[in-house]
Amino acid sequence: MNKILETEDIKKLIPQRYPFLMLDRVIEASPEKVVAIKNVSINESYFSGHFPDQKVMPGVLMIEAMAQAGIILYKQKFQNDNLLYLVSVKSRFFSPVVPGDQLRIEVTSMKMLSKMGIFKAETKVGDKKIAEAEIAFGSQEARSGL
Amino acid sequence: MADIKKDVLEIVSMVVEKDAKEIPLDAHLIQDVGADSMMALEILAALEKKYRIVIPEDKLKEMTTVNKIIAMVETAKKR
Repeated sequence: MNKILETEDIKKLIPQRYPFLMLDRVIEASPEKVVAIKNVSINESYFSGHFPDQKVMPGVLMIEAMAQAGIILYKQKFQNDNLLYLVSVKSRFFSPVVPGDQLRIEVTSMKMLSKMGIFKAETKVGDKKIAEAEIAFGSQEARSGL
Repeated sequence: MADIKKDVLEIVSMVVEKDAKEIPLDAHLIQDVGADSMMALEILAALEKKYRIVIPEDKLKEMTTVNKIIAMVETAKKR
């Protein structure tokens, strides 16, 4: 049962906008798992400096893309406007991403509570694993005490 | 029982990034050990994975000491 979200649907769920909306499409969405697509184009502005002679997508932006997919995952369970902050990231990168690559970002829930959550994320290009991470986030309320 | 104690202490120690020896079993994790509510969530997620149990959201408030977490895991395992 695949639920496809186009960019306008994604914008209803996450607050990020140009130039920081890191998901182009969501091809699967349930409270347990979300699969999102990010097309990496040569026109991405960061490629002009990262690096001038060798274009490589910054790893931190892959983390951002995985985190945004995580917000979509959270929103499958909780419908609210809480602004969610990144709390912890454990990550590993396996292979560089270059212009023309299509990232397939899969996030699965480890624990989703109303004010915070933890999820696992994996990014692939084709069958090749690019990055994996375990990401925790919370609302400002969650940070300030139990 | 002894294993649960060892495992819980190991998880708590890993999440709060302190040596297990520096975490007394009855010390308040937030007030005395320096944990925060997000760390409590990480501990909870690690326990659920390790013991294949489900701990409800409202139990998070009760996870204040290692001893209380051990008791909570034991209760959850019996269910």
